[in-house]
Amino acid sequence: MRTFFDICFTSLQRVGEAIDFLVGVCREIVKGRIRIKEVVKQSYEQGLQSVIIIALTSFASGAVLALQGDVVLSRLGAKEYIAQLVALSLLREMSPVFTAIIFSAKAGARITAELGTMNVNDQILATRTLGVDPIEYLVVPRVIACFLVLPVLTIISEIVGILGGYFVGVYQSNIPGIFYINQTIHAIHYVDFFSGFLKVFFFAVLIGWICCYRGFMTKGGSLGVGKYTTEAVAYSIIFIIVSNTVLTKIILTLWG
Amino acid sequence: MIRVVHLFKTLQEQLILDDINLEVPQGELLVILGESGAGKSVLLKHLIGLFKPDSGEVEINSQDITKLSEAELLKVRKKMGYLFQEGALYDFMNVFENLAFPLEEHTTFDDQTIAEKVQEALKTVDLAGVEGKYPSELSGGMRKRVALARALIMDAKILLCDEPTSGLDPIRSRDISDLIRSVSKRYNCTTVITSHDIDNSFRIADRLALLRSGQIIAIGTPAELKSSDNSFIREFFQS
Repeated sequence: MRTFFDICFTSLQRVGEAIDFLVGVCREIVKGRIRIKEVVKQSYEQGLQSVIIIALTSFASGAVLALQGDVVLSRLGAKEYIAQLVALSLLREMSPVFTAIIFSAKAGARITAELGTMNVNDQILATRTLGVDPIEYLVVPRVIACFLVLPVLTIISEIVGILGGYFVGVYQSNIPGIFYINQTIHAIHYVDFFSGFLKVFFFAVLIGWICCYRGFMTKGGSLGVGKYTTEAVAYSIIFIIVSNTVLTKIILTLWG
Repeated sequence: MIRVVHLFKTLQEQLILDDINLEVPQGELLVILGESGAGKSVLLKHLIGLFKPDSGEVEINSQDITKLSEAELLKVRKKMGYLFQEGALYDFMNVFENLAFPLEEHTTFDDQTIAEKVQEALKTVDLAGVEGKYPSELSGGMRKRVALARALIMDAKILLCDEPTSGLDPIRSRDISDLIRSVSKRYNCTTVITSHDIDNSFRIADRLALLRSGQIIAIGTPAELKSSDNSFIREFFQS
């Protein structure tokens, strides 16, 4: 029977291996071993795959925020602040976190499934036998693509979310369109934008790292691909939510 | 030339390779036979540096590759070809791209030269005309031929084949075995094959080695092994 000590030791060993994997990826990036063509290809695939669903959910989120804001703020006689509520909620928290979660479920799952399938079919091993470093060829472009694509998707999410709020604000709450836009522009300070936006870069690395690492660790045929893929997405989402709390606290402490 | 000296390997607390000593001269075709779990694939993976041994040496052209870092091993592997059981072709690339990949990675050839090399490699394995197909559109035998072409496209002087006939019908097994023998001799490759396929192994091998419980219990020419008095050898070859 495995003792508590064994379980702790194995867990620590796995964390160590995962960190070692990330260090290997960073080393390749620092050395400049970046395949631009692959990065462009991965960015295109990851972005294209996620953009529609992110736009759709962001529009709905913005609209729901405005609907709820209409109810709550009307009670306080402050309906004209719907635009601020929508914009600040989206920029500071909702868009960065929701976009990262959806991105990990779409692009992250794809990364793990691709690399996992390659692993169980010996294609990653074959890459090494062909004299090519699989970290450089397969992992670095995917991680960099995550780093480039997620911030862009977040900005799209913020714009579309504000648009969703605008439609509800204008057509449901009867707020004049120009007034809504003015309120939105005046509500957003650079600190609101960047306090949310900076977190996205951290989430991007987290998703790229976890999903590529789980793909590389996949074993057990097609069943293993399914298991490791769902685990990768679950870990990504858990770490995004937990790290968001810590990052938010740090940002608020330093920046307000 | 390949030389293995006192090679030991333990995996999951089980001794897989137990003092392996082996020498394969340049141009020889050696087939390693053995039961499932005897350690054939593990031994083959040591020959290309995919596994690090617990102790012992693996010399490739007089260079001990067990002491090399992964970056140094990548350079050594450029001149070696490895044929995986299922081919391990990239399923997101078509046949042409699979074969062109090593050339694009390691040479400065222009597109025209790469295309010519790919055509030539496909002709060598009797598969001209499938350049645009993806691995999923090919039969098992065709995939192995393409994988063999990819393994040799960098003018490999060492060819390692992991159970090349597994999963193939007797006719395809014979074809791929003959093909490996013919390209190996044409390009003077030092070739090591692991196999279960006794008939084809006897037909194509210069020498055969019999692996049992991580040890080479017999090595010699097909004629020498056929005339062995050892009861296990006789039983294995008659099975």
